[in-house]
Amino acid sequence: MTDRNSSPQDDALRQKISGLLSGGLETEAWPRAETSEMVNEIVGRLHTDAGDDLEKKLVIGGFTDHPIEADEIEQPCETCMYYLVHRRFCELPEFMLPVEPNWSCRLWRI
Amino acid sequence: MANLLWLQGGACSGNTMSFLNAEEPSACDLVTDFGINVLWQPSLGLELGDDVKAILQKCISGEIQLDIFVFEGTVIDAPNGTGEWNRFCGRPMKEWVKELTAAAQFVVAIGDCATWGGIPATAPNPSDSKGLQFLKREKGGALGANFTSKAGLPVINIPGCPAHPDWVTQILVAVATGRAGDLTLDEFQRPKTFFSSFTQTGCTRNMHFAYKVSSTAFGQRKGCLFYDLGCRGPMTHSPCNRILWNRVSSKTRAGMPCLGCTEPEFPFFDLAPGTVFKTQTVMGVPKDLPEGVDKKGYVKLTAAAKGAAPAWAEEDIFVV
Repeated sequence: MTDRNSSPQDDALRQKISGLLSGGLETEAWPRAETSEMVNEIVGRLHTDAGDDLEKKLVIGGFTDHPIEADEIEQPCETCMYYLVHRRFCELPEFMLPVEPNWSCRLWRI
Repeated sequence: MANLLWLQGGACSGNTMSFLNAEEPSACDLVTDFGINVLWQPSLGLELGDDVKAILQKCISGEIQLDIFVFEGTVIDAPNGTGEWNRFCGRPMKEWVKELTAAAQFVVAIGDCATWGGIPATAPNPSDSKGLQFLKREKGGALGANFTSKAGLPVINIPGCPAHPDWVTQILVAVATGRAGDLTLDEFQRPKTFFSSFTQTGCTRNMHFAYKVSSTAFGQRKGCLFYDLGCRGPMTHSPCNRILWNRVSSKTRAGMPCLGCTEPEFPFFDLAPGTVFKTQTVMGVPKDLPEGVDKKGYVKLTAAAKGAAPAWAEEDIFVV
């Protein structure tokens, strides 16, 4: 799927991430970041442990290639505040990754 | 002619500095056009020492009619209820405040510290600070919940950190010109003319709020500051985007989240690490939602609006 705002580089990276997730990369999808303290802790780990390492970002962020439901709310990228609809891109500064609308991560926020 | 006395307790002088920048009307206009006689003010008064004390004593005795008593800063009770940590003219400021408010026709609290305690009253509140008639949301404060001035009004609260200069001068003019009866106050004794609408009212980022596009860094021109950066504009009662600061801007227009400084809880979450400039969430949903909006409605609205967002809403449209 292409999008007028999604660049070839984004598309290639999105495909790579998709391959990692469907290939069984074990990520920390649970526990979800229930409180702001947990959000801060995960963001802190992204800074200190992940940096620019793609796989570590996916693992610590708890990426999945399907939506997760928590607290009776479904948490797909497409409803997340960091998601750019037209570029299909996660704009959370610690991620800055091309994603799909039906993916999810534990830093989801609405 | 209305006599005005302005004193300062536990404060940084920020409201005085703000007041001196007033434009509509200006601090000078108060004197020249609206007949306000400034008996003494900490940054403007010429008298020092015993001469100031004499003015205060004459106000209390009635020798000088005290029409408007303005207080900036907290009333300090520490240590052990004595108020000795804030002495002024030979005695604890809290004692002057008690006697001057009893003598005044009208009492006006300027800024968060004087209204509800503000930053000095943040836990653990080492100076045992209070606002004149509130401590945070709790009514009472230094003067007690039932206090009314001689004119029959409770303390008129003009909060803010600092209060906008024109909120101050416009209310002082209303009181000095006999129109205090036109003022209607809300549950926190704030004049409704300024504090019924929200900081978000008139915010230039409203279209980004509508399409649920978030700012992710300070100073960004695109995006709404509510979703990630802790902006309290949708929950804060103030006219900051109607009566602009320096006539040109506001915090949110400049890319800085509203801190909610006109609300009694300011500073929110007692300034705990990680709470400032970060939207507090519970399982991804903001802890504090726009006033009157429930969680279920918010989630539905947000998901729908996000899906409908046009491409331009995600770009920086403010091209030079």
